[in-house]
This record gives sequence, structure tokens and C-alpha cells, in this order.
Amino acid sequence: MSLSEIETDSNKIRGEKILEVIMSYARLDFSEKTIISNKGDVYDAIGAGVNMLGEELKSSVVSLREKEQLLREIHHRVKNNLQIISSLLNLQTHNIKDKKFLALITESRNRINSMALIHEMLYATTDLSTIKLKDYTETLCKSIYESYRKPEMNINFFVHIPSNVFLEIDVMIHLGMILNEIISNSLKYAFEKNEGIISISLSQTGSKYYLSVEDNGKGLPIGFIREKDGNLGMQLIYMLTEQLNGTVNIEGKGGVAYQIEF
Amino acid sequence: METPTDCHIYNLTCYWTWMGLDGIARTKVKPQAEVTIKESLENSIAVNDLYINKKFPLLIDAREIKSISKEARDNFSIKNRSTNINSFAVIIESPLSRIIGNFFMGLNKPSVPAKLFNNEQDAIIWLKQYL
Repeated sequence: MSLSEIETDSNKIRGEKILEVIMSYARLDFSEKTIISNKGDVYDAIGAGVNMLGEELKSSVVSLREKEQLLREIHHRVKNNLQIISSLLNLQTHNIKDKKFLALITESRNRINSMALIHEMLYATTDLSTIKLKDYTETLCKSIYESYRKPEMNINFFVHIPSNVFLEIDVMIHLGMILNEIISNSLKYAFEKNEGIISISLSQTGSKYYLSVEDNGKGLPIGFIREKDGNLGMQLIYMLTEQLNGTVNIEGKGGVAYQIEF
Repeated sequence: METPTDCHIYNLTCYWTWMGLDGIARTKVKPQAEVTIKESLENSIAVNDLYINKKFPLLIDAREIKSISKEARDNFSIKNRSTNINSFAVIIESPLSRIIGNFFMGLNKPSVPAKLFNNEQDAIIWLKQYL
């Protein structure tokens, strides 16, 4: 074998070693480095470049993981703090008999819980930024129902939301509050016989979402005017939808149906 | 870059470092030097020790370097640490030193004016503006 053939073989091996290291970096395994010879040639230059890129990539990956951990911790703490506020509100009701006051506290607690639930679900996600709307809605329905539930109450929830709808936290905070107000209003006012159905569905056309929340309760009173007769909850529904650049349409006959486009 | 015989030279693990008669400090990387944070700090201390009454430019001959770790590069980028140099020029030549030099400039972005050169003369002309 001639000298040039030996050198070609040697360079081939060096090239393969460098490739192996690049592959391990692609797998985010930074335990390997290319070996730099004393030749200072192109293979050494490429190897040194790969080593330096690996070091920078490792540093970025570590930094990203630390930030993710921090963000997860923040969501956890926000959720805990919101739950503490909710518990404090609950404690305030101790020995209080005033039904209006108690109702106000329940409404406030539910609003806080609708936000706390978002943070609770966020820190359990992998991307820490989006929430599966279907899971959130189902959990929220259970939570609100528990807060208004009376022994004789029998309300069924039907949630028809595609499993592939994931929304960002900013949208979710608004939507969570909107859902909370609509469901709370239904549970408070719709079912005189304490029986009924609440259906929630979502469809999507392009970038637009259409949320429908309906109950089969007694509907809105005849001559109902939102600006005059609507409670804080209804005002919130309109205000929050507006902030989502959306629109609300309410039908009040044969139950109440909200159509929200955002 | 020739090491002088008429002035004090810091003979460090990976470097020879001294102050030139023209007011430009010099540091020459030893052949096959593998620079880690330890050697980088050792050189930073020596360079800072050259200070008399004003900040000065630094000429680095990196032509014979073998490798430099990320921590060492971060240290040489002079972020979050005090230094007595106001600029530096790095001489590179071999493919290996060219790669290391370019990576250093691109990834570590030094906080004082810094430039790569292929020869000593051009580097000195550029550094003289910082005297």
C-alpha cells in the first residue's frame, strides 16, 4: 500500500469519526468530541468546528431546559397562589348566612379557579404554552358543577370539541372565563326542575373558531335586554369576547344558546 | 511572531505573553496548545498585569493553537469581567486556527473591538488606532 493510499484511508477514518460525533450531537448526546490530531489540516479544522458547535449547542440545550423548568415552576406557583386566594375567599364565608354574599364568593372563586386550572394544565404539558381545549372544558364543567351542585340537581354535560384543538394561554384565559360565566349562568338560572343538559361544541373554519354553548332550560325572560338585565357574568362574556376580537350571539328561546365566534 | 529577548516574558502553560516596546501587548499561543478555562484565566491575569497607566491593545498569535474550550472562549470574549485591554487582533493561518478564530468571533462576540488577521503587519496597523 502506497503512502498516499494510507493517507486516504486515514482521512476516511477521520471523516467517519467526525460524522459519528455529528450524529451524536443530533441526538443531543454531547459526551463525544472529535479528536484533533497534530496535523492542523482541514480534517482537524472541521473537527474543531464540530466540537465548538457541539459545545454551543449543549449550552443552548441546557439553558433551554433550565428555562422550561423555571416556566413550569412559575405556572405551578401561579396556580398555587390562585388556589390560596380561592381558599381565603372560602374562609371568608365562614359563619356568613347572607345568600347574596355567599353567591358572590362562589362566583369569584369559580372565576379564579377557571384561571388556576389553566396554569395547572399548562405545567403538565410538554410545550408549556398551549392547552387542549377539550380536556380543559371537561374539567372546568365538573369543577363549576361541583360548586353549584345541590343534592337534587341532575345536569348532564355534553362536550363536543375536537381533540386536536390546542389554544395559547392568552386565548385560554379569556375563553376559560367566558365558559365559566356561561356555564355558571346556566346552572344558576336555567333549570327550575334541577334537571337538564348543557352542550358545548366547537368547530373551526380556517383560523376562525365557533364555540356554541347551549342549555335546555327555561331560556331568557321575555323582553330581556342585555345592557339592562344582564348580570356581571354576561357583561364579562361580551367584554372578554371583544378582547378576543370575536362576536357573541345569544338566543334565549327554549333554553339559552350562545354562539361565539373568535 | 518572534518572542523578544529584551523584555520580561510571562511563560505560561499555553502562552508566552509580554508587552511590546510599541505599547501593544503580545500573547503567542504555544504549539499544539489545548486551551481550557484554566490556561485562559492564567493568560488573562498575565495580560492584566501588563497594565501601567492606561488600557492597551493586544495582539494574539493563535496560528499554532490546537483547541480551545467554550469556557475559555467565553472568558476571552471579556463579558462580565474587567480587563485592561481596549481591543485585540488575532492572527490565524492554518485551517484549524482559521476555524477556531472565526467561531470565536461569531459565537462569542467579544465586548471590545476585535478582528482576525492573516499576518502580523496588518494586525499591528489596525491595533495602533487603539494606542
